[in-house]
Amino acid sequence: MSTQTKLTVPNRETSIIAKKPNIFNTFRRDYQLWIMVIPAIIVIFIFNYIPMYGIQLAFRDYDYTKGLTGGAWHGLYYFKMFIDNYLFKDLMWNTVKISLATIIIGFPAPILLALLINQIRSKRAKKTLQTTVYMPHFISIVVMVGMLNVMLSPNTGIIGNLMNRLGYGDVNLLASVNSFIPVYVLSDIWQHCGWNSIIYLAALSSVDPQLYDSSKIDGANRWQTIRHIDLPSIVPTMIILFILSMGNVLSTGFEKIFLMQNTLNLPVSEVIATYVYKIGILSNQISYSSAIGLFNTLINFFFLFATNAIAKRVSNISLW
Amino acid sequence: MKKTKWLTLALATSLTALALTGCGSDSDNNSSSDTSSTSSDTTTSTDTQSSAPVKLTAVFTKHPLTQELAKMEWLTEAAKKANVEIKWQEISADWGQKKAAMLASGDIPDIIIGPNAITDADYAQFPGLFADLTDLIAKDAPNVQAMFDAKPETKTISTQTDGKIYGLSKYQRFWPATVSRQYINQQWLDNLGLQMPTNWDELYNVLLAFKEKDANGDGDPNDEIPMDFSPVGTGGFGYFQPTVLLGSLGITLTDASGQGYFVEDGKVKNFFTDERYKTFVEFLNKCFAAGLINKEAFTQDYSKYQSVARGDGDKAKVGFSWGWEVTDRFGNQLAPQYTSMAPLKYSADDNTQLGWDYDYNSLNYGVNMVSISEKSKNKDAAMRFVNELYDPKVSMQVLFGSLGTNIKDNGDDTYAVLPPTDAAMDPGTWKWTSTWADNGPMYIADSLNLTLGTDMQSVGQQTEPLMDTINAIDKDNDVLPSMFIKYSAADNNMMALNNTNLLNLTMAKFSQWVTKGGIDKEWDSYVKNVQKTGVEQNLQIMQKYYDDYKANK
Amino acid sequence: MEMIRYRKKSANDMIFDIGVAVLSVIAFLIVAYPLYFICIASISDSTLVSTGKVLLFPRGISMFGFKEIFGDSRIWTGYRNTIVYTLLGTFVNLLFTLPAAYALSRPEFRARRFIMLAFVITMFFGGGLIPTYLLIKSLHMTNTMWVFIFPFCVNVFNLIITRTFFETSLPKELYEAASIDGCSHFTFFRTVALPLSKAVVSVIALYYLVAHWNDFFTALIYIRDNELQPLQIILRDILLSNQVFQSGAGAGGAAGGYAQKFADQVKYGVILVSTLPILIVYPFIQKYFEKGVMIGSVKG
Repeated sequence: MSTQTKLTVPNRETSIIAKKPNIFNTFRRDYQLWIMVIPAIIVIFIFNYIPMYGIQLAFRDYDYTKGLTGGAWHGLYYFKMFIDNYLFKDLMWNTVKISLATIIIGFPAPILLALLINQIRSKRAKKTLQTTVYMPHFISIVVMVGMLNVMLSPNTGIIGNLMNRLGYGDVNLLASVNSFIPVYVLSDIWQHCGWNSIIYLAALSSVDPQLYDSSKIDGANRWQTIRHIDLPSIVPTMIILFILSMGNVLSTGFEKIFLMQNTLNLPVSEVIATYVYKIGILSNQISYSSAIGLFNTLINFFFLFATNAIAKRVSNISLW
Repeated sequence: MKKTKWLTLALATSLTALALTGCGSDSDNNSSSDTSSTSSDTTTSTDTQSSAPVKLTAVFTKHPLTQELAKMEWLTEAAKKANVEIKWQEISADWGQKKAAMLASGDIPDIIIGPNAITDADYAQFPGLFADLTDLIAKDAPNVQAMFDAKPETKTISTQTDGKIYGLSKYQRFWPATVSRQYINQQWLDNLGLQMPTNWDELYNVLLAFKEKDANGDGDPNDEIPMDFSPVGTGGFGYFQPTVLLGSLGITLTDASGQGYFVEDGKVKNFFTDERYKTFVEFLNKCFAAGLINKEAFTQDYSKYQSVARGDGDKAKVGFSWGWEVTDRFGNQLAPQYTSMAPLKYSADDNTQLGWDYDYNSLNYGVNMVSISEKSKNKDAAMRFVNELYDPKVSMQVLFGSLGTNIKDNGDDTYAVLPPTDAAMDPGTWKWTSTWADNGPMYIADSLNLTLGTDMQSVGQQTEPLMDTINAIDKDNDVLPSMFIKYSAADNNMMALNNTNLLNLTMAKFSQWVTKGGIDKEWDSYVKNVQKTGVEQNLQIMQKYYDDYKANK
Repeated sequence: MEMIRYRKKSANDMIFDIGVAVLSVIAFLIVAYPLYFICIASISDSTLVSTGKVLLFPRGISMFGFKEIFGDSRIWTGYRNTIVYTLLGTFVNLLFTLPAAYALSRPEFRARRFIMLAFVITMFFGGGLIPTYLLIKSLHMTNTMWVFIFPFCVNVFNLIITRTFFETSLPKELYEAASIDGCSHFTFFRTVALPLSKAVVSVIALYYLVAHWNDFFTALIYIRDNELQPLQIILRDILLSNQVFQSGAGAGGAAGGYAQKFADQVKYGVILVSTLPILIVYPFIQKYFEKGVMIGSVKG
């Protein structure tokens, strides 16, 4: 080991002097890093890149006898079919509305929760709250929607009754186009907020305790500590997670929306994912649904790319 | 050290992967994965009955309640008789997803059994994957041939548009002509001194009385739900929904006509743009506005819909509803309060020929129950096994369970379905638990002398009030024979796309109009929008196939 | 002056603490009640549950649901399989992910931007089910336990999270100081980076653990043998076979009467049976979030 490092150290120095470092001339210096990353590269290459030839399906007819990629080339036919579809505008709009609402309200929630938990002084209370809010993540979607049905029922549900008592009258939150998105988003936050806060709690735990001590000496109050010590420590994680969530603008969860759908909220609850499911299950529209999937992906990727570029410029934090 | 070891392993795997995937996409699928090493030449191994049983692999898409296949006596015997040994894969959930991977990779077992487990669209999309059974039936399957001879329509529905037979049909004979029976709470009628309603106006008045008075006699006049129906899905109408009331206006639904298609005087139509549908929605809106329909009818799930009807002890909550069978719908305790009623007329002086929901074909026939792999090395053995299933006496056990435990042999060629041995279970559940039931292939010959269980008998009794109407339906000109029509793959895809768009619009409008009204104002623009979804194109396609069907009949 | 300021500050702090306490209690109640509801619903009469009559205490108590779940002998095989897949799978995940995340966090590693981009692309573009199935089949992993372990064992999302952590929580000077002492990347990763990052390692381990625990899609597509089925598939079977009590009427015949009263119990019971084991894991991981544990231990 030690002989190797002895060899690399002078090497690096010469390379810095000689020319700009690039992938090739730093290879000898960084070979250990390469060894560490190569297993991941191989796994990703095999399981993610090799099957990618399947993307062609979006441009071809699926013809079993000619193999997966042997069907007739259709170009953008299926993309046009989707864009010309008379539901296209509604589907896009519904999808974007739901996912933007999820991002805007759902993204800050776990951060606030993590900051809150971090402020609790009693260790026992802290642990109890932390464990409790983490649990709903494990509830299956079927049960989650089942509970929503039971609790929101205007006649018999606990929330339905509460709304009634508060004087909102006899509202059926499951039945209206206006309440679908709030119910969807809020129940999502309820379910995943605790789980999503874990990563921020981990980030907060790596703050050097000396910083807190010195801020106390400087006479900072609790708000100031949060603003100047806690928040900056989770900013990199926040930015990275925000970039990643912007890569999901056109992908809403399928199952929950599908289960929450009823004929009354259909005008706002039909999204791309549920539409693809419906055409896919009714008939073997492999090519058409691949094309819609690819269309989604491209837009998602564009948003991720753009957010990443902005983040890089503003904060120098980026995915790549 | 540790890392380098993993590295070599990973490298090795990746190289194998490259080598394996490099060689084309489907040429490597021919290596059949099944284990039958014995027979390279099928005829020699199968023709000698005394030889070791032929090993087969099979998939059965069973009902989630159904017990393990290994525990079914009749199945073991049938396999023994056909001299086969079958390794079963029992699938009770998510068959669609499993199938997608299975078919696309060509990785299928010798036999696939299940109701429409492989669809016509699959046969069209995966040519060469499944065997044409025509010759095999002639050679190995006299029982299947007997079914085809006695019930020619079973052959028709087994045959694809190109004349080949890939999937075998079934005939189960005993099921009633409709799924939906109409129930009203007779005790409530009696409590309030009301007559059984016979038309929409009377129904409205009865429901109004249910609502306003204390029909169940518990002192609270507000806890009655006059009318309830099963949750209306976003993918179209289903059973136990008020659409059967369209029958009062002369429309005969087929299999609930979830997507709106029906036939009238030999013409295929769609009720979503029919004036009579407007009348029907207006009536429902009138009822809803008066509080006669369960407020949660459009948002509750099936579980709640069933629970509500079970009331509270012996206090009923629901006045008027639809269901398969009265104890299933209202529970054992409340069932005696309800009576099944005849279809309603539109108004007292209306003489329209009534319709209902006609489901005889879909209840008694089934398509694509059995498919055999083209690549199977033992097609003859597979067919001999399938033939056993179509022996009427085996078929009877496929449907109701083994002789001895589930069916009594009276000794004089007559049989009777036995009540469940577990007293807590109802006959329906017992049937689904003990055997393949309706999910199996079968031929219940008309000559078979079998006495049914109590559940089927009571379904029969409760259908009685509907029978006048159903008997009067002109089955040749007013029923959509969807069970007997096979569309080409291209037409099917086109229709499915159009229907998805159609239902997205119509179902939302339906519930909106019923709950909030406004159909009168929006109707014309709605009809125009519906045209845009491609419904006309679908009607043309369906009319063409329907005419062909009638011409060939 | 000093005194007043001090008093004012502590008063402020007190208000702050009360605010924190109130918010915490509200958050706790909002989350805890539905969880409690699941518990009582799993032993109550389903008819009463869905008509809203079970609110604070179980009613019409019966153990039907749990009897149905534990009466299925496959459940123990399922537990065993899932535990094996989860532990082994998570181990392999970490083995592949952590070193890669470390390498990609090093600013001097020139290839990192390109590799990251190539990785991120896979989060979006995939070949779909069928090409993946063909690949797994050609690797002879279908119907073996390895399909749970190796395919997709590097989750790019988790990799990015870990990398971000390594980037921000390892002071830059640390490696430079170490490398002058003759410390290689291997040694630095093992002796400095990992111990300093226990929090993120445990979070990522938890992410992987839970993903394996909840995974049923892999088994659904690739596993045919009953002996290899994980818990989630078996629970799904039990769940579905009880759901049909509710929706089974209709064309098939009356399958409704029996057990209608308790069908939903299974739904709620399954949640408890499938998640209790994984909930136990959390406190073990939680202890690595204690403020300053890591930094302190290294420096001390």
